[in-house]
Amino acid sequence: QLIPKAHYGGRHAVTMLPGGGIGPECMGYVRDIFRYIGAPVDFEVVDIDPTMDNDDDVQYAITTIKRNGVGLKGNIETKSEAAYVTSRNVALRNELDMYAYVLHCKSFIGVPTRHKDIDIHIIRQNTEGEYAMLEHESVRGVVESMKVVTASNSERVARFAFEFAKKNGRKKVTTVHKANIMKLSDGLFLETSRRMAEEYPEIEHNDMIIDNCCMQLVAKPHQFDVMLMTNLYGSIVSNVVCGLLGGAGLLSGRNYGDHYAVFEPGTRNTGTAIAGKNIANPIAMINASIDMLEHLGHHFHAGLLRRAVNKTVNIDRVLTPDVGGSNSSSEVVDSIIGNIGKS
Amino acid sequence: VPASRAGVAQYSTGVRKVTLIPGHGIGPEITVAVQKIFEAAKVPIEWDEVDVTAVRGPDGKFGIPQRAIDSVNENKIGLKGPLMTPVGKGYRSLNLALRKEFDLYANVRPCKSLDGIKTLYDNVDVVTIRENTEGEYSGIEHEIVDGVVQSIKLITEEASKRVAEFAFQFAKDNKRKKVTAVHKANIMRMSDGLFLRCCREMATKYPDIKFEERYLDTVCLNMVQDPSKFDVLVMPNLYGDIMSDMCSGLVGGLGLTPSGNIGKNGALFESVHGTAPAIAGQDKANPTALLLSGVMMLRYMRLLEQADKIENACFTVLKEGRVLTEDLGGNSTCSAFTQEIIKNLD
Ligand SMILES: Nc1ncnc2c1ncn2[C@@H]1O[C@H](COP(=O)(O)OP(=O)(O)OP(=O)(O)O)[C@@H](O)[C@H]1O
Ligand SMILES: Nc1ncnc2c1ncn2[C@@H]1O[C@H](COP(=O)(O)OP(=O)(O)OP(=O)(O)O)[C@@H](O)[C@H]1O
Ligand SMILES: [Mg+2]
Ligand SMILES: [Mg+2]
Repeated sequence: QLIPKAHYGGRHAVTMLPGGGIGPECMGYVRDIFRYIGAPVDFEVVDIDPTMDNDDDVQYAITTIKRNGVGLKGNIETKSEAAYVTSRNVALRNELDMYAYVLHCKSFIGVPTRHKDIDIHIIRQNTEGEYAMLEHESVRGVVESMKVVTASNSERVARFAFEFAKKNGRKKVTTVHKANIMKLSDGLFLETSRRMAEEYPEIEHNDMIIDNCCMQLVAKPHQFDVMLMTNLYGSIVSNVVCGLLGGAGLLSGRNYGDHYAVFEPGTRNTGTAIAGKNIANPIAMINASIDMLEHLGHHFHAGLLRRAVNKTVNIDRVLTPDVGGSNSSSEVVDSIIGNIGKS
Repeated sequence: VPASRAGVAQYSTGVRKVTLIPGHGIGPEITVAVQKIFEAAKVPIEWDEVDVTAVRGPDGKFGIPQRAIDSVNENKIGLKGPLMTPVGKGYRSLNLALRKEFDLYANVRPCKSLDGIKTLYDNVDVVTIRENTEGEYSGIEHEIVDGVVQSIKLITEEASKRVAEFAFQFAKDNKRKKVTAVHKANIMRMSDGLFLRCCREMATKYPDIKFEERYLDTVCLNMVQDPSKFDVLVMPNLYGDIMSDMCSGLVGGLGLTPSGNIGKNGALFESVHGTAPAIAGQDKANPTALLLSGVMMLRYMRLLEQADKIENACFTVLKEGRVLTEDLGGNSTCSAFTQEIIKNLD
């Protein structure tokens, strides 16, 4: 880490961006739990007004993450449909240069699903590709949208994926692409990952076209181990796999750059329709907070919380309706708090 | 879509000419299977068989042979097996070339659970409608400086409108209840934004059909959890490519799902699976996808009686499960499967 994380008297400062929809309530649960377990983390909360047409709030949020080094976030909405207003989530990732996104998709034995025992790591290029947001209307009714792929970013994320596979004892990396159609852009991404694979002879490497990949995922998901892909395919594959594992309310995702890390629910949904009803599944955000504790080196607190979540979800099966349960969000949180130190 | 709109070549005898492109790999064998079944069902069509293997034109570029182009232009309707595109620079996908040549702007792929085909999902019944001519497949790409590459996704109002109109009209004609526009306008604000606006506008002209807009990623999430949430889906090219394959995975794979490409001046129906070189020429291929594409074609030509007859026979054989090809877990050949369908024709 080049820039040290904000660290005062053994405690860490972390930027908290509740975002819209169910974000604020989920953040409330995280704070309750952190208070209960005495996690040595102080949150600096930044609210972003989704209706604003300017980026002042986002700039402020970025400044605090730069200061703290670490953030925990919900999904930030961009209400304006004006073309010049860019997605806040994208602006944040790009300006902090968090080029890699990691989503660990592991089946929960307590959650009823069609496929069992899935264990896939998705690694996604997080700052360019289809999310370049370079668009223009050449003449009325004709719009061009640029997808930008660079050798340097492809290389960084490929390196990240193979290093990740190596460190975590994984056997195979699958690069997902559409290089048969987008020969230059996806071609560059694929070529780069193939070259990187040569540096890691102990890790098997193969590649798959995105449409076939999605078909394989719903039918035979067990063939995948670590998956590497560009930005948009990452969004697609993440959501497909989360769907297979029980939905948007369970898994957490991690954004990494060379300097900063931001943790959030894996599918980046807002959950507008279920906000404020005490039915949102709090597990995804809680898992994100566990990832964050681990990143900060607070392994004791992370372990404590991870075991409590495991007991609540997989053993006691205290679950919200989205994963087949009948409990409210706060009952799930109470169960987790009650399970702290008990497994 | 009424056949009159497509102007299918028709003779006084009532026999209509249809271009047949057997394709490569397993293409010829599954084509023969379809021909045999159609003949047994006494379908009043005459096949005009053409080869579309790329030939070098006067300009030195590889392209579709003129004879194939003439045939489709004359007949306005065709059935096609899988095509192989050689890997390497200078080759454009033949499928893409055909779509461009005939301006086949809408790709329709119904995915419906089949009795007898065991998958983890039952009760899937969705139709994906994909814009087929532009978007991410515009083929405009360049390297700006060393190591920086751009691909351009092209969205036009004209193409978006006509595919939106097709989707709503399809929903209406086929007694469907809902059309979902799949987009990513939160990120691609102008391009997907334009596509979305065209869908919204078209929705106002079809008040009986429910309209909803959903983010691509949310559709992926919800589709694998509960496909019954969806009915007809309309989307730009790449999203359609991905979603249609994924939906097909829900009901048993590309060996089973039909597809049609509809344009202003004609229609081309095709199986969307690959050439399966590993099993080509061994009488092992499953002809279901091409056969059901043929059934879709018959419906398009308003040959409804024959369409129903063939579809029922095919469904019966799949349901009984005695004679199935290896990809479906059986041990019969393509010809045996074909014979079994013929036996069930009436
Ligand atoms: N934490 C959660 N618990 C339970 N369900 C969730 C959770 N997060 C998302 N979902 C569900 O996942 C689905 C997709 O989420 P959502 O509606 O937020 O998608 P979206 O595309 O981001 O839409 P919007 O921006 O309108 O909220 C919805 O059915 C939502 O209810
Ligand atoms: N109609 C079919 N009947 C039986 N098996 C099929 C059929 N179509 C595809 N398969 C099988 O599905 C798998 C994928 O084949 P597919 O032809 O789609 O891809 P491919 O082999 O890469 O060919 P291509 O390069 O032409 O796309 C193969 O194992 C193939 O044998
Ligand atoms: Mg979302
Ligand atoms: Mg496809």
